[in-house]
Amino acid sequence: MINENDAPRIAAEVVARVYERCRARAARPGGKPLDEIINETLYHERRRLARQRGRDEERAFYSGLRHRLGRASEAETQRMLHEIITRYVEEISGHFDPNIYRVATRVMPVGVSALLTGLSPGRLLGSGLLGGGLLGGGPLPSLEQMLEIHGDVETTRRLNELGTVLYVPTHSSNLDSIILGLALYQAGLPPVTYGAGLNLFENRIIGYFMQNLGAYTVDRLKTDPLYRDALKEYSTVVLEYGRPSLFFPGGTRARAGTLETYLKKGLLGTAVAAYRNNLERNRDRRIFVVPVTLNYPLVLEAATLIDDHLQISGQSRYIIVDDEFSQLDRWVAYARGLFALDMHIYVRFGAPLDPFGNPVNEQGESLDPHGRVIDPGRYLMDEGAIVDDETRDAEYTRMLARGVVRSFFANNIACATHVVSFAMLHALYERERPSHLYRFLRSLGPETSLPVDQLLATLQRLLDELGALADDGGIQLGRVVSSRRAEDVLNHAIRRLQTYHTRPVIERRGDRLHVGDANLLLFYRNRLEGYGLLDAPTLVRQRQEAP
Amino acid sequence: MTGKQTRSTARKATPAPVRPTAVQPPPGPHVAVLGAGNWGTTIAHLIASNGNAVRLWTRSSELADAIRTERVNRRYLDGFDLSEHIWPTNDLALAVRGARMIVMVIPSSGFRAVCRQLAPLVEPDQAIVHATKGLEQHTYRRMSQIVLEETCVRRYAVISGPNIAREIMEGKPSGTVVASPFPRLIERVSGLLTGPTFRVYTNDDVAGVELGGALKNIIAIGAGISAGLQLGENTRALLITRGLGEIMRLSLSFGARAETFSGLAGIGDLMVTCASEHSRNFRLGRGLAAGKDVATITAQLGMVAEGVNTVAVAHDFVREHNVYAPVIEAIHAIVHGGQHPIEAIRELMVLDARPDVDLG
Repeated sequence: MINENDAPRIAAEVVARVYERCRARAARPGGKPLDEIINETLYHERRRLARQRGRDEERAFYSGLRHRLGRASEAETQRMLHEIITRYVEEISGHFDPNIYRVATRVMPVGVSALLTGLSPGRLLGSGLLGGGLLGGGPLPSLEQMLEIHGDVETTRRLNELGTVLYVPTHSSNLDSIILGLALYQAGLPPVTYGAGLNLFENRIIGYFMQNLGAYTVDRLKTDPLYRDALKEYSTVVLEYGRPSLFFPGGTRARAGTLETYLKKGLLGTAVAAYRNNLERNRDRRIFVVPVTLNYPLVLEAATLIDDHLQISGQSRYIIVDDEFSQLDRWVAYARGLFALDMHIYVRFGAPLDPFGNPVNEQGESLDPHGRVIDPGRYLMDEGAIVDDETRDAEYTRMLARGVVRSFFANNIACATHVVSFAMLHALYERERPSHLYRFLRSLGPETSLPVDQLLATLQRLLDELGALADDGGIQLGRVVSSRRAEDVLNHAIRRLQTYHTRPVIERRGDRLHVGDANLLLFYRNRLEGYGLLDAPTLVRQRQEAP
Repeated sequence: MTGKQTRSTARKATPAPVRPTAVQPPPGPHVAVLGAGNWGTTIAHLIASNGNAVRLWTRSSELADAIRTERVNRRYLDGFDLSEHIWPTNDLALAVRGARMIVMVIPSSGFRAVCRQLAPLVEPDQAIVHATKGLEQHTYRRMSQIVLEETCVRRYAVISGPNIAREIMEGKPSGTVVASPFPRLIERVSGLLTGPTFRVYTNDDVAGVELGGALKNIIAIGAGISAGLQLGENTRALLITRGLGEIMRLSLSFGARAETFSGLAGIGDLMVTCASEHSRNFRLGRGLAAGKDVATITAQLGMVAEGVNTVAVAHDFVREHNVYAPVIEAIHAIVHGGQHPIEAIRELMVLDARPDVDLG
C-alpha cells in the first residue's frame, strides 16, 4: 500500500512522465501536437459530461480550457496540458489524507465487519466504538469466521519479500474490494494499493473507507486516451516503487455471474512495463502476478447484475450506481443471511505468474513449461540489450492474460448454490430439448418444476464430473460440494437459495422443485460456464482470450 | 563430437571432394534451421546466401555428414550446390544454443517432440520461426501454439506461401509470407530471407497464415483426384474456389482474418498446390482416383502426405463446430472412409445450391 510519504512523490512522478511523453511524441515528425491532444481531451470529456448529471466544477474547467485554447501561445498550451494531466492524476490518486489513512488502516477490518453486520459507517464512527472495545475484538460478529482463504498463501507472502506482487482477482461484487482487503489482512499479507471504480468511491456506504485506504480511482467512463495513459502510468509507478497492488482485470463486475474469459490489457500491461522500467535502471526487482478467485454462495447485487446482462446487448449499462450496493437494507439482509446460514466466502490465491504468463516458484524464479528456471529479463532483450517495444510487450500481456484466465478456471471454487443451479437448469433443458435457447430461458417461471429425484440424478452426474475435473486440478470444490453427495449438496443449496433474494431462486414444494427466479438461477449456474460440464450448451456469449 | 568423427570416417561410401571437415562450428552469430528436408534445406540456403552463418540440424548423422562433405543434399534436394555458410549437424544443442533465431521445418507429426527436445536448450531472448504446414491431430493445435506450450520462447513467427523448394533453388522469382504479432521479428526474418529472386511479404494474422498453409493440402488431394479422373479445368476451378470458401469458414472459427486468404498464404498457396503435379498431396489424389488405397500410395511415395493427417483433423473440427464444408468432408470420406471418388463427387453435385460467396 502507498504510505503518506509516497503518495505525493508517486503523483508527481506520474505527471512528469505523462507530460514528458506527450512532449516527446509531439516533437517527433508526424507526432501529435499538444493542442491536438488537448482538443481530444475536450472532445472526450465533454461527451462524457453530456451523459452525466451534476459535476459543475468539471464543466467549468473544460469550458474555461476551451476558451483559453483558442488564443494560447506555445507556453500556455504546455501549461494547459500540464493542468489536465495533473487534474487526472489527482483524481486517480485520490484525496489522500494521511490522518484518516492512519485510522482507517487500523479500523478497516473491524469497519468492514461492522458494515456487513448492518452498521452504517456513520453509526460506526458516531458510536465511539472505534477507539474502544471494537479494536480489541469487541461485540460484533466477526466476518473472519465467514472468510475462507485458500491457495498458497505462504508463497504469496514470500513473493512479497522477493519482489512486488500484483493481485488480479475475479470480480463479482462491489464487496470484493473489501473482502480482499480483509483476506490479505487475515492472511498476514501486506496491504495493497487498490485500483477501484470511481463509483465505489462515490458510494454512500463504503465510499468513506475507499477514499482513504491508499486506493486509486479508475473512472471507466473516461475515454480520453490521455486519461488512460495517466492511469496506466500510475499503476506502473506504484509497482516500480515496490508497492503491492490490486485491480480487477475484467474491468467490471461479471454481469452474468461467469468467470472472466477476457481481460482488459491496459492495466494488466503495467506489470511488464514496471518490470522493464526497473531493469532499465538496473534494478532486477521482479513483478509477480497473483490471480485471485472470489466466490460467494450468494452475491449481494446478483439481481441487478443479471437483469442488466439480460437487457438487449448493447443497451446494458457499463456502470451501475443504483444497485443493492447502495441500499442499506439490502446490506442488512445480506449480512443477516451470511451469518444466519454460516455462509462461507471463498478467497483463493492462485499460483503466481511472471509478467509474461510463466509460472513462478517459491524462490520467485520464472519457470518454463517443463519447470526449468529461466531469466525473464531476457524476454525484453534483443541481442543482449534491453529494448523498448510496445507492440512486443502488448503481445506478452496477451499471453499473461491467457495465463490469468486459465488460473481463474482452475482456482474457481464451486459452491453448492452454483452446482445445484447448474444441475437444475440443465435437467430442465434436457427435458425440454428446446430448439431456441433464449425462448426456453424466458419460458422458465414458478410453474416450471422438476421432481426432486430427477434433479438428484442430474446433480449426481454433475458432482461426479466436477470431482474428476477437480482431481485433475481443473476446478476447486467448496466444502459441501466436495462431499459429492447429491442430497447434502441439494439441501445445503436450497436453504441458501431461499434466503437472501427477494424471491427464492429454487423452491421446494413437496417432492418437486420449482423455479422461483429464473434469472438468478441462470446467474448462479453461470459460475460453472465454460468447463463443458454435462455437455451443456453455452448460455453466455463472452469474448475469449485468443488461444 | 568424437563419435561423429569416427562415424563419418568409418563409412565413406562415395569419394567426396576433399574439404576440411569442420566438426566445431565456425564462431560468430548464427541462425539455426531445424530439419534438412527439401524446404528446410532451401530456407537454410536462402539465409546463408545472404551471408549469414546457418547451422542446419537433421536427426540423421549420415545426412549431416553428407551435406557437410558434398555441399549437396542428395536425399531431398539433389542437384543444387548449397551455400558454404551452411554448417550441418545432428547435434541439436550445438545448433540452437546462442542462435539469433531458430527456424523449424519439421513435419507436423514430429513437431511437438522436437519442441520438447528444444525446451531445455532455448532461452527467453530467442525467437522461433516455423515453416511447417499442418495441424496437430486431436488437439487442433497450430504449430506456433505448440511452440508456446512446450518452450519458454514467446517471440514466434510463421513462414508460409506458394513455395516449391526446387523452383526457389533454381532462382525463379517467388514470394512468401512471414506472419507474427512481433513486428521487429518479422523485420528480422524478412531481412534474413529476402534475396534477388525471393520476396517476403508480411502479415500479423498468424492463425490465418498457418491455417491457409495447412488446409490447402486437403484441397490439393482433391485436385489430384480431379486430375486423375480427367475432369478438366472447370472442375478444378470449382474445386479450388469452393475449397477456398471452406478453408476460410473453418479458419474464421479458429480466429483467422478473411483478408489473409486473398494473399500468398491463402489463394497463392492453394493455386500452386493444386497446379503442381509433383506435390505429394496431388499424387496421393491421383492414386486415389486410380482406385489405390492410402497405405499403398504412401508406400509408393515413400512418405506421408501432410494432407492425410490434415483432412482427418479438419473433418473432426468441422463436425465438432458445425461448419459447412462438404468438399472437405467428401475428401475425408475418400481418404479415410474408403469411398470411391466418383461416388463422392456424385453426392457433392446433388447438394442444394448455396450462395456463391458465404463466409458465415
